[in-house]
Parts: sequence; structure tokens; C-alpha cells
Amino acid sequence: MPATATPAERVELKSGPPPAAPAGSGGRNWSTRRIERTIKYESDRNVGFGRDVMRVPGCEQLENCIQCGTCSGVCPLSIYMDHSPRQVMALTRADFRDEVLRSHTIWLCASCYACTVECPQQIRITDIMYELKQRAIDAGIYPRRFPIPVLAHEFTHMVRKHGRITELVLVIRLFLKTDWFAALGNWRLGLDLTRTGRFSLLTERIRRHGDIARMLDAVDQPKHPSP
Amino acid sequence: MVSLKPEIRIGFYVCHCGHNIASMVDCADVAAYVGQLPGVVLARDYKYMCSDPGQELIQKDIAEFGLNRVVVASCSPLLHEHTFRAAVAAGGLNPFLFHMVNIREHASWVHTDRAAATAKAKVLARAAIRRAALARELPQRQIPINPGVLVVGGGIAGIHAALTLAEAGKHVWLIEREASIGGHMAKFDKTFPTLDCAACILTPKMSAVGAHPNITLWSHSDVVQVDGYVGNYTVKVRRRPRYVNEELCTGCQECIGNCIYKEPKFPDEFNEGLGKRKPIHIPFPQATPQVVLIDPQVCLNFKRGVLTDRCKKTCVEACGDRKAIDFTQKEETKEIQVGAIIVATGFKPFDVRRVPQYGYGTYPNVYTALEVERLVNASGPTAGEIVLRDGRRPSAIAIIHCVGSRDKKTNRWCSRVCCMYSMKLAHLLKEHSGAELYNFYIDIRAPGKGYEEFYDKLNEEGVHFIRGRVGEVTDWAMIPEEEGKLVIRVEDTLAGVVRRIPVDMVVLATGLEPHADAQAVRRLFNMSCGTEGFFLERHPKLAPVSTFTDGVYIAGCCQGPRDIPDTVAQAGAAAAEALALIDRGHILQEPNTAHVLADCSGCKSCLPLCPYTAIGFDEATHQAVINEALCKGCGTCVAACPSGSIGQHLFEDDEVFSEIEGLLTADPEPTPALAATP
Repeated sequence: MPATATPAERVELKSGPPPAAPAGSGGRNWSTRRIERTIKYESDRNVGFGRDVMRVPGCEQLENCIQCGTCSGVCPLSIYMDHSPRQVMALTRADFRDEVLRSHTIWLCASCYACTVECPQQIRITDIMYELKQRAIDAGIYPRRFPIPVLAHEFTHMVRKHGRITELVLVIRLFLKTDWFAALGNWRLGLDLTRTGRFSLLTERIRRHGDIARMLDAVDQPKHPSP
Repeated sequence: MVSLKPEIRIGFYVCHCGHNIASMVDCADVAAYVGQLPGVVLARDYKYMCSDPGQELIQKDIAEFGLNRVVVASCSPLLHEHTFRAAVAAGGLNPFLFHMVNIREHASWVHTDRAAATAKAKVLARAAIRRAALARELPQRQIPINPGVLVVGGGIAGIHAALTLAEAGKHVWLIEREASIGGHMAKFDKTFPTLDCAACILTPKMSAVGAHPNITLWSHSDVVQVDGYVGNYTVKVRRRPRYVNEELCTGCQECIGNCIYKEPKFPDEFNEGLGKRKPIHIPFPQATPQVVLIDPQVCLNFKRGVLTDRCKKTCVEACGDRKAIDFTQKEETKEIQVGAIIVATGFKPFDVRRVPQYGYGTYPNVYTALEVERLVNASGPTAGEIVLRDGRRPSAIAIIHCVGSRDKKTNRWCSRVCCMYSMKLAHLLKEHSGAELYNFYIDIRAPGKGYEEFYDKLNEEGVHFIRGRVGEVTDWAMIPEEEGKLVIRVEDTLAGVVRRIPVDMVVLATGLEPHADAQAVRRLFNMSCGTEGFFLERHPKLAPVSTFTDGVYIAGCCQGPRDIPDTVAQAGAAAAEALALIDRGHILQEPNTAHVLADCSGCKSCLPLCPYTAIGFDEATHQAVINEALCKGCGTCVAACPSGSIGQHLFEDDEVFSEIEGLLTADPEPTPALAATP
């Protein structure tokens, strides 16, 4: 992996006015607030990353992004994101691969497709988010106990193995791999779901479930079309 | 074999066109190859054949080497055929003994392999040499031009073009679809960036049109048919009935006051439906012509447009002895003869219902820009007070830019005027209401004289500019301050945060698009449309008001979105082009007419095919006869004649066939076609 981040030159502020740092970063105590250099150097770029993403079928229209912000304006989850969808598009196009793949925007995307519907340049933003998620998983860049990639991973793992998922097992595995304390807080919901038959206690599988694994393997090769 | 008599002496010139041709075609090699072809006396390559020295070179060679054919391999004949014909004529040859080969568009520009492009240029040149050897001297006929001009569309473009031509002493027919001229500009309150009152600067021009002896103004009329050709167009105009005699109406408007409807009841088109009018009405106070009209769809004396005579006709009583109201008026079609046509049919504002996320039609306080123009206007439905549809007065107003512009789902082009008129409306709304103004934009486009300064002024006035295309307009409140408001959800892309901004009024800056019937109009005048549907100019830079049909010019927003200064400039340019055509007094006709050969069998197949009714039949000789004054050289009869008995000047069979042979022959040996008597 190339240059992971700028060699963060950290400055400890002893006193003085609040520095111009992104809101939310750093604590309320100004005296210990870290100031980081936010400048990007050409060496921080992963030259070709943007082009490579735009070569994936469905992602080509990214070339035409005019940075109007419609995607962020319609996104129901943009209010929680560290980088707005528009910024993710700009960072991708500018080849800042690490910044993009580390952003939790790609994981917050709920795939509602509002951005794709409204984009005046007809950029398939949701599809690009999927592509970025895929690349983040391939590169192993995502928060370890972040539930969304864990769920995605467990889900596909289970489908590959049994042909379908067993909700109870999936949920238990999800909690174990992310935050098993949270499972305790949700015990009542789990009980209700089991009582109403929503949670099967037996592993569900399809007949000839080996075929589906072979099918998925075939789809998976090659993962990314090389240029 | 017949000897060459008179001897064919061809001069061949290949143009470098700077690097345009020379970079991809070896011009010296082409000249050397052509130089050894039979009949070619000399072959030269030169940097710019179209330059004065280039033309003089041809003339000098004609005299010195006794050339009797000239072939130039250069650019498109559309661009320079007339230049070289004139040069050849100045050198003492008949201009039709010149032939042009296009090795720029057909070879250098479209190829990337220099050797192959050079080989292709040689083949094209060889074909032209063979054809040129058979060229005949032809006379060029002059056709007189009708000095009248038709101007279609009475907006500011049509008005300006008509007045310019009328001042120059030409007779102008100005045809307007609506009941009054003035177009969209008449609806505007002020004009950017000077904040001139639109009516104050437009209405003097409108009344000048109405009063000018050289202008025949037909409003409430449509052009239905155009026949003829440059200099001699025959135009049919349908005059729709207004049920009021234009000659007798004095514009006193007593009929309106006495209409059986005591109160205005029907949506007023001029005020964008914000105000009301009666069935008998005048579009707006300064309407030109000052003639009332009756809307048969709502007048009680009609039922769905059909005369019933059931009303008490209080309007007729009020009109009294003037007897201007005539319920029996019928549609009439008039025919006029003109030499040139200026099409200035304008634009249509984008239909904002196509972007439902902005809530037009759902939330009453969402307005289009044109509605706001009327709202801030002193003669508008609220006399310039900013009173919303629900009776409230706004304390915060949002203006959303690029509605129906820069959007591939609707119209992908930038409408060019919306940034500026949005700023103008922001200024006016702030002035009239004292509200907080928010502009939501993608990019501010202010490229005009005084435009950037106007943007500065707005910033100084405290108008907010937020860079971000609005996601949605909603009345769904998430915090108490948003209750009862319209909320704009947008990313402030410069601050990098998503914002919710509650406002009382939303203005949609609608883009400009071609009229719904632009395609029909295009066909009527034999013009082309670009992909967007705006009329296509002949050349985007050098012929911006001409079309591909000679004698038809375009001006204003029918060619593409533009502001008033550009429209007026373009209208002036179109008028000048029309004048240049008309004042020449005649046009030179291309001698490409068809002619009947001696072996016509008299089958009459060609007679009904001719689109110009140029073919007659001589009963005495039992042969077809072509009137060369009417023939436009379309070639339909030539192709259709079953016995091949119709020829066409400039395109004789032997010329065309020898050119094809030249293209297809592998070896550069002389062929019988070249050696045959021309």
C-alpha cells in the first residue's frame, strides 16, 4: 500500500484561540487539541485510482460530476457522514484512495438510490459506493468491529455455505464479532422474534447448496477487470 | 479515338491550408502525382490557396499557360467554391470550368495515417481531374429579389429586426402568434444588470412597430406555409379571429367594463395565471396593437368556441357606433411575397412540474421566475406587493437556480440567463419585501458587461449565496422553527455541510427550452435543429444568424438561450444580413438546372414528380419542357426519367461517371472518357 497518510505533524497547543480544524475533531479542551496538517501532496494520491473506479461498468459517469451536491442534499444519511457523498465523488476522482476507503460514508450508504435518481449528470452514485465498499473490503481497510462490513461478510459467507441464511445464527455471529454487549440489550427482541417464528433455531439450507458456492466463485473471478 | 479539341489544359492546385491539410497529406507528392496525369498542364502546391496571392497565382497561370480548366484540392466547397470560381472568372475563364476537391474534411481531418491519407487525396484529385476535363461553359442567370421581409415572432428580437429593416425602407410583415407583440420581455419587471424598467425600454419600440408605415403587423396569426426560394418566398399566413375588427377598434376598452361578467374571472395569461381577466380583454395596458380580443372558449356568446348568440352582448352596446365587435369573424389565410425571412420565435420556459421534488403545484408558495416577474411588477396582479398565494408576506425567500438546466434528465444545457435574472429577482424581492434572500446555485455564471459587478452588489446587499443544488423542498418540519415553513434541504458545498433552511417562498429559476412546436416550425422554413431542438445556425462562429436555407435568418432565443443585449445584437445582425441580400437586387442562380434531351419519349413520368412544377408538356413535339427559371436543380426528374432523357447542367452523366471511374481506376492511365470530346 502506498503512502498511508501525510506524516501527521502534530502540534500541541498550549493556549490561544481555537484552531481552524474540522468540527468534531479533537476535544473540547483547546489546550490539548491536536492540529494536523490537512494539505494533500501529490504523493498522497493513488494515481489511477479514480480512472480505475470509472472503468467499472456503471461507474463511468463519475467523469461528469459537476460537484453540485444534489447527492448530499437528497441523501437521508448524509447528516451523519464524515465526507458527504459529493466529497467522496471528488476524492475518488482526485485519486485519494485511502481517504475514500477510510471514510465511513461508504458504509453508511443505505442503498436507497435517491442520489442516483436525482443526480443531474446521471452518475450511479450508489453503485460507486458499492464499488468502493468492495475495494475497502479487498484492501482490508475498514473499522474492525464496524457492523456493516461484518454483516456483509457474514451474510455472504452463510449464503455461500448453505444457500440461504439463518437469521438467528447471523445475528448472533454479528453481535459476537462486533459488540457482544449489545446482544444482551436486545435479548427481549430476540425472544419475541423467536416466539413469533421469525428466528429459526435450525440451520436453513437449500438442496445442492454446493452449486451456489460454485456459481458465486465463478462470478467472483476475476474480481476487478484489469485496465 | 477523337483528338482533344479544343485541347484540355488543366491547372491543378493543392492547398496546404496551413497544417490543416499538410500535416496529414503530403501535398507536394499529390501535386507531383497529378502533374503527370493526362490533360494536366501544371500542378502546384501552395500554403493558402484562398489567400490573395493564391488566387492571383491561378489568374497568372491561366494567362501564362493558357489553362482552360482549374481544379483546386483544398477544403469544403461550402467554404471556398465561390472564392475560386470568382478567381477563375477574374482570370478570364467561365467559372464553371473550375472544380473543387475536398481533401481536408474528406482526407486530412478524418485520417490518422499520413500515407493512406495522401493516397486517398491522390485518388480524389484524379477523379476531379477526369471530371473537370468534361466541364462545360455555363451561363449564370440572375433572378430578381423581392424587397419585402417576413419577420416571424414579435418578441424583442422580432421587434428590433423589423424596426431596423423598416428604417432602411424595406417593407416588413411582422407575424406574432399572441394577441400582442412584446414577447417575454413585456412580462419582465426590470432588466439586469442595470435594473432598467423593461416596459420603459420596450414599449417605445412596440409603439414604433405599431405606427411604422413600413411595417404590417399581424398579431394573433401563424405562418402556415412557405414556398419558393431565396429572394422569392410565397408565405401563407393564417389570421385567427379575435372577434374584434382591428381597423374599427379604437382601444377605448369600454367593452371590457361593460362585459356581462362584472368581475374578471378567468386566469390571465399575461400575468401567468396570477391575475384574472374577462372573456373580452386586452393582454396588457401597453399591448400593441391596442385592440381588444374575445376568448371564444369562455365568452358567453360562444359555447366551446362555437357561436351561439345567447349573450345579451353588452359589449356590443358599449361599442356602439364604432361597430368593432364582430362575432362572425372567421379565420382568414393571406398570402404575401417576400425576399427574405427572419425567424425569431423565441423560447418556452421549462415546465417546472417535471421536477416534482421542488413542490411546484403541491405547495402554493412555490413560484416560477416568470410568475415572480409579474408579482414584483407595479402593473402585476398585486401591484408590486409581495403577497403570497396564501395571503402571507414572506420573511425568507429561496431562489433555486438551474431548474430544468444542466440536468441530463430534463435539459442538459446551461440556460445562460437564470443566474443573472435570479440575482435581479433577489434584489427586487429584497427591495419589495425586506425578506432574507437565499440563492442556491451550482455555479454563478455572470459573463457579461457589468454582470460580475452586479453579483458583487448583491453580496453587499446581504443576499445569501449557497453553493449547492437543492435536494428537495418539503413542508415536513423537524424542529419547531420549521413549522409552517417550506424547508430547503441542501448541501452547502463550500462549507461542506448539509443544511436545512426554512423559508416562506420558493422561486424556481426555470431554464429556457425550444417551443414544443419547434420541429414543425423548422420544417416550415426548411431549417435544421441542433440536438437540443434550438434552430441551427449555418456556422456557430462565422454565420451565426444564417441558416442552411438561403434567405432564412434566425435571431434570439429560438437559436439558443441568450439575454436581451445578445438578442438585440443578433436581431440587428439578422436584419443586416437580410438587407445585404435584398439590396443586391438579384441573386445569381447556380446553373444546375435540368434540361430535356432530344430523345424524350413523352411518357410524362417526370411531370408530377417536380416539386417546383417546373416541367410542362409540349403537345406539338410530344415532349417534356423544363422551365429553367423555376427549376431548382434537385435532380428528381433526372433520376426518374425511364429513358435517361433528362440531363442536368453541372451534373451531366458523363461527368459523374468519369469521376466515379477516376475514383475506382487502379492505374493512372488515361481513359476514353478523358480523351472523348467534351
